[in-house]
Amino acid sequence: MGTLDILGRILTISLFATTLRMTTPVLFATLGGVFSAQAGIFNVGLEGLLTIGAFFAVVGSVTTGSAWGGLAFALVSCLIASLGFAIIHLELGADEIIVGLALNFIGYGLTNFLLIAMLDSTGFFQSPLLVGFETIRISLIDNLPVIGDLFSGHFSLVYLSFISVALAHWFLYNTPWGFHLRAVGENEEAAVAVGINARLMKYFGLSMSGVMCAFGGTFLSLAYLNLFSEGMPAGRGWLALAAINFGEGKPVKSMVAALIFGFTDALAIGLQQFGLPSQIVLMLPYVTTLVVLVFSAIRQQRRATATLAAAAAAEA
Amino acid sequence: MTKREEPKPSSNESSTITTRASRSRLKSILIEVAIQAANYALILLVSLLAGGLVILFAGKNPIEAYGALFDGALGGTLKIADTLDRASVLILAGLAAAVAFRTSVWNLGLEGQLYMGAFAAAWVGFSFHGLPLAIHITLVLLAGIVAGALWALPAIFLKIRWNVNEVVSTLMLNYIAILFTAYLVAFPFKDPAALFPGTPVLDASARLPRLIPGSVLNIGFILALVLAFVVNWFMFRSKQGYELRMVGLNARFAGYAGMPVKQSAFLAMMLSGALVGLGGAVVIAGFFGRFITSFSVGYGWDGMLISLLAQNHPLGVIPAALFYAGLSNGGMAMQSATGVDQAVVTVVKGTLLAFVTVKVFIDFLNRRLRKWAPSTS
Amino acid sequence: MAEAVALLDITKTFPGVVANKDVSLSVQEGEIMAIVGENGAGKTTLMRILYGLEKPDTGTIQVKGKEVKLPSARAAIAEGIGMVHQHFKLVPSYTLAQNVVLGVEPRRGLFVDQKRELEIVNDLSKRYGLAVDGERLTCDASVGEQQRAEILKALYRGADILILDEPTAVLTDGETEELFGMLRRLAADGKSILFISHKLREVLAISDSTTVMRRGEVVGTVQTAATDRRELAEMMIGRETVGGRIREDSVQLGEPVLEIIDLNVQDARCITSVLDANLVLRQGQVLGIAGVDGNGQVELVEAITGLRPVSSGRILLDGKEIQNGKPRQIRQAGVAHIPSDRNATGVALEAHVWENLIAVDYFASPYSGKMALALSRIFADAKDVILRFGVQTPSLKSSTNNLSGGNIQRLIVARELGLERAQVVVAAQPTRGVDIAGTEEIREMLLDYTREGAGVLLISADLDEILVLSDLVMVMYEGHLSDAGKVDDTIRQRVGQLMTGGSIDDQT
Repeated sequence: MGTLDILGRILTISLFATTLRMTTPVLFATLGGVFSAQAGIFNVGLEGLLTIGAFFAVVGSVTTGSAWGGLAFALVSCLIASLGFAIIHLELGADEIIVGLALNFIGYGLTNFLLIAMLDSTGFFQSPLLVGFETIRISLIDNLPVIGDLFSGHFSLVYLSFISVALAHWFLYNTPWGFHLRAVGENEEAAVAVGINARLMKYFGLSMSGVMCAFGGTFLSLAYLNLFSEGMPAGRGWLALAAINFGEGKPVKSMVAALIFGFTDALAIGLQQFGLPSQIVLMLPYVTTLVVLVFSAIRQQRRATATLAAAAAAEA
Repeated sequence: MTKREEPKPSSNESSTITTRASRSRLKSILIEVAIQAANYALILLVSLLAGGLVILFAGKNPIEAYGALFDGALGGTLKIADTLDRASVLILAGLAAAVAFRTSVWNLGLEGQLYMGAFAAAWVGFSFHGLPLAIHITLVLLAGIVAGALWALPAIFLKIRWNVNEVVSTLMLNYIAILFTAYLVAFPFKDPAALFPGTPVLDASARLPRLIPGSVLNIGFILALVLAFVVNWFMFRSKQGYELRMVGLNARFAGYAGMPVKQSAFLAMMLSGALVGLGGAVVIAGFFGRFITSFSVGYGWDGMLISLLAQNHPLGVIPAALFYAGLSNGGMAMQSATGVDQAVVTVVKGTLLAFVTVKVFIDFLNRRLRKWAPSTS
Repeated sequence: MAEAVALLDITKTFPGVVANKDVSLSVQEGEIMAIVGENGAGKTTLMRILYGLEKPDTGTIQVKGKEVKLPSARAAIAEGIGMVHQHFKLVPSYTLAQNVVLGVEPRRGLFVDQKRELEIVNDLSKRYGLAVDGERLTCDASVGEQQRAEILKALYRGADILILDEPTAVLTDGETEELFGMLRRLAADGKSILFISHKLREVLAISDSTTVMRRGEVVGTVQTAATDRRELAEMMIGRETVGGRIREDSVQLGEPVLEIIDLNVQDARCITSVLDANLVLRQGQVLGIAGVDGNGQVELVEAITGLRPVSSGRILLDGKEIQNGKPRQIRQAGVAHIPSDRNATGVALEAHVWENLIAVDYFASPYSGKMALALSRIFADAKDVILRFGVQTPSLKSSTNNLSGGNIQRLIVARELGLERAQVVVAAQPTRGVDIAGTEEIREMLLDYTREGAGVLLISADLDEILVLSDLVMVMYEGHLSDAGKVDDTIRQRVGQLMTGGSIDDQT
């Protein structure tokens, strides 16, 4: 087969549609991390929060018989978890990385234990009682040739994730509380000097991490798949950290990185049809993340030296 | 270089102070040890209680269950041997975490370094034939060490060169290592005769000799114990170890005093990878006899928890690792004996971690309080 | 003119030091008052009390004749008091307008009204003649513009009383002129201005009245027009002859051991902090560098100890060039360093006392072999050294953060002076935070060191310390090192002139 043929077989509309779907969980986690990053906290507990969200979404769905009920359960549990993080880090003064790691371990352990205690299963849980989300067809565009295939027929949470980017951007850059939050993260002294309650802002940032990861986790267990399994997030919480790093904590820029990861995820699935070993192909997202990390670091370093040089030139 | 000769006593008498000081010092050490022991005992109690509650919740008898757990871990020579064997890799992983964390290098890539070390060891084990036991084993273990260290190298290089955050880079390398070794096992180095996806079996000359015939306990355990003492000596008695620790406590101060900060971070990361890579080699050459993709149940992560439990102290890692190993083995026995699922063990571990992390936070609090309180002079 | 603000009998003590003692001053509406004094005079504490950041132990504050309580900055702002700090409190990525309105943004529904924001800032800017481009990013703005934005920030919140802390420290001459023009306009508008400065030339140019503080007390308040620089410097620094001198007056000096030739050093923002500095330190000499904090002393010390690269010039130790060398090499060549910020760079607080003691010398014989630390030798010498230097600690293995600040300082001095021999000791604020007994002992130790042939470079913001110890005094002002000469009966006057921006031959 010629190269163009191969490319044509890989780069299908369906691939891009899948990309949007695969981006959603990473994007939610990324937005969660963005809020705490803007408040000045490096939240490494996103993976744990996603796990907790995914698990309690399932519990909620089975209990209430509805997918939205599942989401509600996920929101409450993730909020509790992130408030716990906040209290231990902000009030007891513990190192944010250690607390974040603890959150991951506890999330993993707790959900595994509760899997047995509450749902009577080991390793993974699937049940006809589990009500997942349905996909939505947008009648306006559904019958259009390319656009319809790309943008219609996704889960509501997929649309919500991208809308959230816009909402996050609007909140951070156009509302007073957004300004206050970002001031706390960028120069806490300046914020305190004008009477902004820095602690409150940090609590808010961490709570939003919980909220966003609740959405992300719910998507994993009630939309993307209709089950819960051990280690479900599969590192998406870590990918989110890289996305935030790339996007310098800004919602739109970080979304770009999240899309790249979603794309490599979708690509990995697509490439497997070519008989490439699945293990190599599945490495794609993680290798891409590393490359993205290195590039952002180099770029940030170059920019820092340029600023210094410019300042020097201005002085001269 | 001369040292000043004339002692100039200051406003207090020197000799009385020394005896008074050493008596009260002994007392304060004893008090400190007692407090620490009491703290840990309390945390352990609470964690076991939490697990007990879970068992009750599941409708079973906690005492019976814990009894089975205890028996599974320590009931009889074979079971003890099994627990000790399981502890070998945990000790090495714990040491790896301790060295890195004490230098404030966040090596979260232990799992990946473990995998690479394990595979390299397996490869040396099944690729070379006809070697004498001593040489083959040495090569196998060396392969684990080198592979583990090399897999840690990219992360620390990126950190030093371009300030790439090592938390995320080491995590990515984890996934890459696990997938890469899975690939190697599935294709180039596949053993067609195997039931589980794995490499060919290691030569007999590459297997670690057993310590107790009939059990799985092998010299890997001795190796782990010895290394715990070696690492302890290194961290607290060698000048390199001293540098690592000072860099970990206050890197700016270390730089001001003339210490090589970047080299220390580099050394810490490489040692960390080497130690956990060795752990991988020990698991493969000591227990499994070949590399299989599912050989690790999270030993790398356990290593981190063990180190945090032991306050990152190399010798403290030993009892913590033994405890973890006992819990894991006991859990499996408990499950088959009483039907209580071994996930209860995860609860105990999780609660333990929660409280240890809280304990770590309480230590922070204590230290802060001590700064406000009137000080000792 | 009505009285705008008055401070009456303000006393404030911190543990171990009286920051303000019975301080009273009164400012009228439309008056510009300068508060001058050297480091530790109490000016910053006083202004912090006025801005609600500290509570006085005794005394009252009156605004427009009415007594007020100021428990927080918010309360002060509510009373019409605004403060522009020496280190700006601005968010770099925001526009200047966004920084001005931060915390009290104009709103339109849920949004910030960005248009109104700009309008407000432009209006304020025009009204007070403070040119600020609201749309410019703060990190792109010049220092002068950033400062104007800080002033607008205070004015936006309704400040009638403005406190400026060392406002000209970061400005060029041209920007300073502009600032003064703005201040005059603000005063004409009825605002009261208090500004802290140690640059008397500027104080004389802009202020209506000047309050001089020294050692926590007000020396006097004078009408600026009726005084001159000489008088102010004398009030600031005193004119008494140096009493309590512990250095003998005739010392045998040896060969030059440290020479600095035409040194230029830049700080982190690529601004030149040390300008064409020259000095010669001889064996057996104590050379004191006086000067208010922030005039380049930190950068000078870092350049000498290898912690900062130099842009041009040379530093010679015993005739060999050491500029741009590695810190360890320079230490091994014989330079000891007592850093000014002991907790950040002098010790690792969570380490044991012995670990901090050995930090500079651990890597070579006799304290370590090829790999191992020679612990018994380390402990033996450490025990000896802590006795000699009076470090109070229950044991060598105690955690360093159990020690008081003064003892930590003694530990650092013990480390630098007690173990290996050095040719040059760079001592930056060596007795900061140490009690009287400890201070005397540390000073004596430094002098002892010179009696054995070493040279001591003493950098201190405490002028008395410099005068009591030094053979030769130099003054650092805005990056320039000037020679004030030997300690004699008129040394204070000369140092006073140099510290405040004048020169020795100045008559006014």
